[in-house]
Amino acid sequence: MIESNELAAPRAAPLEPAGGRAGRGFWQHSWEELRSNRLGIASAVLLALLIVVALTAPFFSQFVTHFGTTQQDLNNPFSAPSRTHWLGTDELGRDTVTRLAYGARISLGVGFLTVAISLTIGAMVGLFAGFYGGVLDDVLMRIVDVVLALPPVFLFILMSILFRPNAITLSVIIASLGWASLARLVRSEVLSLRSREFIVATRSLGARNGRLIFRHVLPNSLQLMIVAASLGLAQVVLIEAALDFLGLGIQPPTPSWGNMLSNAQEYFVHSVWLVIFPGLMIFLTVLAANLLGNALRDAFDPRLRHL
Amino acid sequence: MVGYVARRLIMAIPVLFGVTLITFLLMHFTAGSYVPGLQLDPNLKPSDIARIRSNLGLDRPVLVQYLDWLGIGAILQQVGLGGLLGGGHNIDTGILEGNFGRSLIDGTPVLTAVLERLPNTIELTATAIVLGAAVSIPVGVVSALRRGGRLDQGLTAISVAGFAVPQFWLGLMLILLFSVTFHAWHLPWLPSSGATSPIGGGGLLDRLEHLVMPAVVLAFFYLSNWSRFVRSSMVETLSQDFVRTARSKGMTERRTVYVHALRNAIAPLVTLVGLELPGLVSGALIIEVVFGWPGIGLLAFQRALQFDFTTVMGITTFAAVLVVAGNLLADMLYAVVDPRVRYA
Repeated sequence: MIESNELAAPRAAPLEPAGGRAGRGFWQHSWEELRSNRLGIASAVLLALLIVVALTAPFFSQFVTHFGTTQQDLNNPFSAPSRTHWLGTDELGRDTVTRLAYGARISLGVGFLTVAISLTIGAMVGLFAGFYGGVLDDVLMRIVDVVLALPPVFLFILMSILFRPNAITLSVIIASLGWASLARLVRSEVLSLRSREFIVATRSLGARNGRLIFRHVLPNSLQLMIVAASLGLAQVVLIEAALDFLGLGIQPPTPSWGNMLSNAQEYFVHSVWLVIFPGLMIFLTVLAANLLGNALRDAFDPRLRHL
Repeated sequence: MVGYVARRLIMAIPVLFGVTLITFLLMHFTAGSYVPGLQLDPNLKPSDIARIRSNLGLDRPVLVQYLDWLGIGAILQQVGLGGLLGGGHNIDTGILEGNFGRSLIDGTPVLTAVLERLPNTIELTATAIVLGAAVSIPVGVVSALRRGGRLDQGLTAISVAGFAVPQFWLGLMLILLFSVTFHAWHLPWLPSSGATSPIGGGGLLDRLEHLVMPAVVLAFFYLSNWSRFVRSSMVETLSQDFVRTARSKGMTERRTVYVHALRNAIAPLVTLVGLELPGLVSGALIIEVVFGWPGIGLLAFQRALQFDFTTVMGITTFAAVLVVAGNLLADMLYAVVDPRVRYA
């Protein structure tokens, strides 16, 4: 009994502590790099604020703005920014701040869900295609080629009209095309990892494929996925807003930044703020996600910083 | 080179089949039997509806409909194998023969509608691409030469913003400024919608006036993308050995930078621009909608809202073919400008 334990211990020892120490070191180092990047931290803080506003939108509307999303103030339509309505009201006197806060739920909710779905599918496809190679790789990559060749705007419009999406189906629609580029990205990373010495060494120690993929290749491509997720979030927020703007995404009266803009189109000649603020929210969110993605990339791979 | 091109061409065939199959199946399983207006018309007996659907060939098995839509049916019939598809229906020519079907709304051939709108879209996107490339090269080079300076930081900030600004919002803001506000201030203003004026329009100046705003919005996006690329490519090139050699030979700085380095730095841009070629057709949809530009994007959008699925399907396929062709062209252009690629 004791003997077998003693036998097992030294075999595991060279693997675990080494992997653990290297992992901590890398993430700690990256965090220090990221912390020194002021633009990146500012973006992260802005995104965090938006997430808090999105999560607490009902409390926000009840205790801070004192207006509901669909609550009409018919004495005050097209009100300019004022003390009661900080960013003004629309044609029915609905409070813009409240609606923007609820819009953040849609934009960020769809954004994160879409990124989660496409990253899960993309990472799986990329990992397996890159790791196993051969026929599996060929088949999966040809599917990726096909998906990437589909013109996204037309497909999104088509699917939106056919499925009449809510926030969740909208995420599925956007993710149904979004996973392909991620799969390609992860695959190329896996291809280069596969032949590295630490993978070859782990394999020669008798690690099975499943362990290699999920305990060694996956953790080592996490940094790539985090960067891709941040940049992907920016793109999804833009696409979602565009679909709402075209009237194909989230339908009124549920407020989203895109459908607020689409609504404002009729009135923007005399009520400029109706078109300015939702656009600014989209712009700031996308900007923050992009800058955070860039900052993360610099933090993970300082060689890229000076290019 | 010939072998390289042939290999890439052969690889494109299964991709094209996949694209047509996905588009067709998506349409079939969600809207397959739907004919606009038919179910709502109280004058039609169920037998009439069945007859109309049968005339449209919608009662055939999916596979037969797909092959017919592709145009393989017509090919099989010509070589005497038409029976494979099951008889009883007229087998039409398909997209392989350039027949993209007929609109469910007005019965006109989809291809005619597409070709009618195509020049407008190409006018818009080609202007934007040329504008974007022409401005991004000097911007990228200047940034690279003054790396870290105030000008570089300013230009970088603008291009980062260009990535984040929603195109439709930028379009609306430009309309607000140049059409609405300028008009109110009695300044020369720009038309906010269409490609020509409805009355007395069509002259060169009139077309340019309509083109400016949508083209600038679209070009701004390309510009922010490509100027970053030119900048980093130029920075990398300037640190290479051949540039040092040129300098150490006593070549003037101007000649080193603008002749030797620049040519090498912007060669990869060719690929990037090539990858945007499919965007010539499909890239401008939302801008066409905002500016009422009568191009393919606006056509697809309007027809989709009317449930004219054959038209949307035709345009989607058309655009997908162009994506594949564009990728192919980009690869070949790259192989031309950078001979190392061919042997890889």
